[in-house]
Amino acid sequence: MGDLINQALEMGWPAFALLAGLLVYFQVSISDPVAKKRATLRTIIGMGATLLLFIAIVNYKENFYGENRLLPVSLVMVTAASFMVAVYFPNLGALLKIGGLMFFVAAFLSGYGNWLPQVEGGFPPKEEKLEYSGMTAQQLADEGEKIIFGGVGKNKEQGAIGKGQCPLCHAFHAGMLGERAPNLQGLPERAGKERLEDPKYSKGKPAGRDYAQKEAFPGSGTAENAIEYIAESHSCPNCYVVAGYGVKGTNDKESPMPAIHKPPISLSIDELVAVDTWLFVREGRDAPSFEEISKAYEKFIPEADRPKKQEEKSGPPSALMADGTEPVDQILAKAQCVSCHTIPGIPGANGTIGPKLVEGTNAPNRIKDKDYKGTAKSTSDYIMESIVSPSTYVVKPFPDNTMPKVFGQKLSAGALKKIVDYLSQVYEGKEPPKIS
Amino acid sequence: MGLVTRKKVFSIMALCAMVGLLLFPVIVSLPSLAIGADAPDAAKKEEAKVEKGRDVYYKTEGIVVGAPAPKTVDGPKDYPRYNFESRVLLWFANQQHLYYGSFVLAVPIFCMVVEFMGVVTKDKALAKRYDQLAYDFIKISLTAYSLTAVLGGILIFTFLTLYPAFFGYLSSIFRPVMHIYALMFVAESATLYIYYYGWDKMKEGFLKWIHLSMSVILNIIGTLLMFLANSWIGFMMSPAGVDEQGRFLGNIWHVLHTALWNPLNLHRILGNMAFGGGVVAAYAAYKFLASKTDEDRAHYDWMGYIAMALGVAFLIPLPFAGYWLMREVYAYRQQMGITLMGGLLAWLFIIQATMIGILFLSTNYYLWQAMGRMRGAEKYQRYIKYLVFILACGYLVFITPHTMVMTPAELKAMGGQQHPVLGNYGVMSAKNGGINVIITTTVLSFVWYMRGNKVSTVSWAKFGNIFMGVFFACAYVNIVGLAIYGYYIPANVRVGLSVPQVATTLSSLFFMFALNSVMMKGAKQTGAIEWGKISARSQYALIMLATAFTWMMGLMGYIRSSVRLFWHVNEIMRDNSPWAYTHTVGFAANMISFNVLFFWISILFVFWLGSLAAKKAPAGEKAGVPGSAPQPAGSH
Repeated sequence: MGDLINQALEMGWPAFALLAGLLVYFQVSISDPVAKKRATLRTIIGMGATLLLFIAIVNYKENFYGENRLLPVSLVMVTAASFMVAVYFPNLGALLKIGGLMFFVAAFLSGYGNWLPQVEGGFPPKEEKLEYSGMTAQQLADEGEKIIFGGVGKNKEQGAIGKGQCPLCHAFHAGMLGERAPNLQGLPERAGKERLEDPKYSKGKPAGRDYAQKEAFPGSGTAENAIEYIAESHSCPNCYVVAGYGVKGTNDKESPMPAIHKPPISLSIDELVAVDTWLFVREGRDAPSFEEISKAYEKFIPEADRPKKQEEKSGPPSALMADGTEPVDQILAKAQCVSCHTIPGIPGANGTIGPKLVEGTNAPNRIKDKDYKGTAKSTSDYIMESIVSPSTYVVKPFPDNTMPKVFGQKLSAGALKKIVDYLSQVYEGKEPPKIS
Repeated sequence: MGLVTRKKVFSIMALCAMVGLLLFPVIVSLPSLAIGADAPDAAKKEEAKVEKGRDVYYKTEGIVVGAPAPKTVDGPKDYPRYNFESRVLLWFANQQHLYYGSFVLAVPIFCMVVEFMGVVTKDKALAKRYDQLAYDFIKISLTAYSLTAVLGGILIFTFLTLYPAFFGYLSSIFRPVMHIYALMFVAESATLYIYYYGWDKMKEGFLKWIHLSMSVILNIIGTLLMFLANSWIGFMMSPAGVDEQGRFLGNIWHVLHTALWNPLNLHRILGNMAFGGGVVAAYAAYKFLASKTDEDRAHYDWMGYIAMALGVAFLIPLPFAGYWLMREVYAYRQQMGITLMGGLLAWLFIIQATMIGILFLSTNYYLWQAMGRMRGAEKYQRYIKYLVFILACGYLVFITPHTMVMTPAELKAMGGQQHPVLGNYGVMSAKNGGINVIITTTVLSFVWYMRGNKVSTVSWAKFGNIFMGVFFACAYVNIVGLAIYGYYIPANVRVGLSVPQVATTLSSLFFMFALNSVMMKGAKQTGAIEWGKISARSQYALIMLATAFTWMMGLMGYIRSSVRLFWHVNEIMRDNSPWAYTHTVGFAANMISFNVLFFWISILFVFWLGSLAAKKAPAGEKAGVPGSAPQPAGSH
């Protein structure tokens, strides 16, 4: 609070000086004691309100990105200031009271928003290069669980969700909610029997189907076994809809589920294989081989529609800025660190948008700072944390959210290590380390 | 030919000329609309050269006539930036433009309604009051209109400066209608200025009808403008008319008519009207509180009441339009619906529920306060405490959540997927029951207010009163009964209960208002409405209503936009900027508050500017402003 008042005084001193001047002027110029008392009181109230106003502004400025929950306090202060002034300045009373009420409503709603659990939607899932075909069944199942739930062992957590987005609609355990789509507990067993034997499925006779789509693509035919049934339901959800789960008003002829190999989910066949493997392994069943499942998908996804494997994908999400084979000065240049930071020993690194990077000296002090909320215990950890999660600790007076949060995805592990090694050896006033 | 007849002929000719001029740009632009129509011919000639694509939504084949959506890269080329989060800057520019745009589109609709009421009413004094009120409305919106245009310019510059690749892509898709949009804006401005400055010249006889027709034209253009603007956001949420790569397939109608366009249009029309009513009511409240004379207080009390009544009239159907929009979102992409209502953005809907409650509670509070200026309404005031109880119960049920996305720690603390007590209650049919009880109670408050100082003189008055009482009682029993019944049936069946619940509320709204109006025709007055004698607290209720509505607009706009997650155009163009993540609820709430307060501070400034102009006006100009003279009973 002391800091806030100091900063408020620093920012608002011309206003305070003006009010102090007015106070002196009223003492000298007004002879009527009642009028003088009134003018003095109003000026003092004005000073109090001005102080509140500037504390509010400073609080807002300081915590805009960091401590969001403190911002409504500013609005309450403005409310208080408005009502204080309104009482003593009846000419502006209506306007100030209205303004005060509006600030109060905004403060209440902002405060409410900050009081609720804070959930932040992360970046689009990071894409990794994985070689699925050489994995064991358990490894494949683990990858499948990650795709479905976002991590290994997360399948019983409510709200756990991975890039496949399956738990948005499906439940996976007995007794769990599954109002929007069938519960997938026991699917491998059910798929080969109940589903394929359902007359509506019309096994082997796609023309006999009464759904929005008769086949995944002309000539693909229908599934012949459980593996193919699962593959077909992923790639052509409209080919068969479980009773009660169709799009409303379509009499269960159309499914609300998107084709999983297409946007927005766009899983590759390899990833779909991993998902299906998990469905088998988690029930203690022997999973079909990678090739078997792949072949099932190839039956229902035409060549042209097959999502490219990760290594073939182009475009920014997976494109690395540096792979770690470059020398550190080139890595720093490619990642554009040099545009914003001054880094001793790195040619062209004269930026001033972010702090100077003498981390050998700075990092230990930052970790000890009372405002530091990160988890780093060493200089190397601190540098790594600052790169991959720049908002964890923001050096004053630099603003938060200026540094992109994507370097964890756009630099390879090798490149990150090179940066950390270099920066941890840069000390204030000492010769910078050699570039390697 | 007599002077009057000649005047009529000239007026009709002027109106036809104006309509012709307004339609001219649209007709001139038609060839560009026909790109899709010409394309098949061209295709026949050069069949070998053309490439075809499949529409991602309509699934029809079309000839590719556009470039694919750009794959952006985080860098100065696609995402140039200042030393600040670009998304926040765009959010601010967009929201301010939207607030002002909504206001200036809504107010002319009010003007049209109020001016029409003035023209058709037989009571000359009342007609004059309505006419003056309509004029006051348009005067308020005129200053805001220029500011809307300035903010529109700022918005485009912000887009061009911070998101050039994205804006370039959208412009390339909407190119066939962009110039129509610009020309219609010119037509809107021209009509508005003629409408405003021609007020005095066209205030009598047939010319008044011509003037009224201009307000219809003005509103048609305004509504079409809004539809075109909505098509951009509709396309961003549920693209159509392009193939999977985002290439335009030549049919601009498909691009405009996306899955969510119509629900968005309806929702925005109603939302704008409720918002416009709120802003004008807040203006009237401000003028009321600052008034020095009884005459002014009477005028602004009446103005506030009319604006509030118009705003609430559109607020009541708004939840139903919202329900339709959500239904269409679920039908378009189920994941999108779940992200909204049961996933990442679900907590924001809890805030929305709170706000809807605040809006209806403020409205009811205002009506109860307004009964205080009505002699004879005391008979209803003793029952208000029961309405408070019913509203509070409905509100508590309405804001009770059912399932929420939780972290493992929260899950453990809660002891299960749902709260051990509340989790059993917050099902959809009960929530629907809660909000329908709130709306029905608001209807009841309105009915009491409308008959506050009157006693029906129709012969069947007793029967009518009993019928109304029984109707309301049955409505409550039906709504609450269905809400409870929802606990005993499966979820997918339960959803269907909303239809009879909503039908009950709407029946109360229409039948009871209609019956009450018939019963009160020629009713005996037990006392006059003493305009201006309302409590100051009621005016703060109006301000609360306006602020809360502004906040809710900001909130819902944020929710609608955030649901695209990391897509600029859903499933077509990915957001690769450093801000392709969703902020926390707290950050969003702070940002919405900032936008709301900026809007209100700026519009209070606009009001203040308007009051300066009024002070300079000649004294005789306000002669037509109604005073505290006894008001006709039908004026509410």
